[in-house]
Amino acid sequence: MPELPELNPVIHGKLRLALLSLLSGVEEAEFTWLRGKTGSTDGNLGAQLLKLEEAGYVAVEKKFVLRKPQTLYRMTDAGRQALTGYVLALRQLLGAAIEN
Amino acid sequence: MTSNIESQELKDRLNLIEHMIAEGRRTTESWGWTFVLWGVAYYVAIAWASLGHSTLAWPVTMVAAGILTGVLASRSTGGRPETTIGRAMMAIWTGMGTSTFALMMSLGMSGRLDSHYSVAIIGAMLGGANCTSSILLKWKMQFACAVVWWGSAVAACLTSDTVTSIVFLTAIFFCQIVFGIYGMISESRKHKLSAAGQGAFHA
Repeated sequence: MPELPELNPVIHGKLRLALLSLLSGVEEAEFTWLRGKTGSTDGNLGAQLLKLEEAGYVAVEKKFVLRKPQTLYRMTDAGRQALTGYVLALRQLLGAAIEN
Repeated sequence: MTSNIESQELKDRLNLIEHMIAEGRRTTESWGWTFVLWGVAYYVAIAWASLGHSTLAWPVTMVAAGILTGVLASRSTGGRPETTIGRAMMAIWTGMGTSTFALMMSLGMSGRLDSHYSVAIIGAMLGGANCTSSILLKWKMQFACAVVWWGSAVAACLTSDTVTSIVFLTAIFFCQIVFGIYGMISESRKHKLSAAGQGAFHA
């Protein structure tokens, strides 16, 4: 019997999974846009984005536009690979669950 | 039982991923208003030119519409992410607009521009841009607009002054005003649906 894959714990959190999925469909996104789309609080969102950044799944760029601070998040290649791997693992697990 | 719960949990994760990816991609598709704005701008330019100020009417109205589009677009997209599709759309319309403006200005200054050339050039350019955009967005209604614009370009080469004017005014009405309003309504429906299916996420 083939061994079942383990789900990546960094992505497994619902908010982190939502954030990576959102970032996979765009080139880059502002903190405020991500907050609006996920309905999360500033503190929670910042903490989860930091975890993704520490794992190397998102890259952060801070700049000023018209003297206002802007924080942009972009998915890295490692993040894309991790999300793809997570989806494949989910499908494998689902297939195993249906068979059982 | 446990297996069923786990299976449901896994399916929920997959649904969440699909929903969020679609949500990100949908973001920059709010451009219906630009069609209405440019439709109105064409009508203003035509009305102004018919009063005998044809050398000023078109360039001034087109530049004003371009500036207005830029200002409104930067306000409405503020905070929204950049997507490949959004950038492709911007490239198509900026390229088409610049080409048309340069061509019309040069022909106008050389004294070689008449109503047939104008409608043929505008129709061909708008037909090309709408066609490319419709293929990228998989939007049949926009492809229909491209066909109407191509038809008006051909009609401008083959028909009289009066018929050319009627064809141009009709194409503007259907492909800019009606299509723009239709676009705005469908965008607003999509946003409502997406807002309804969205809740807060926790870690």
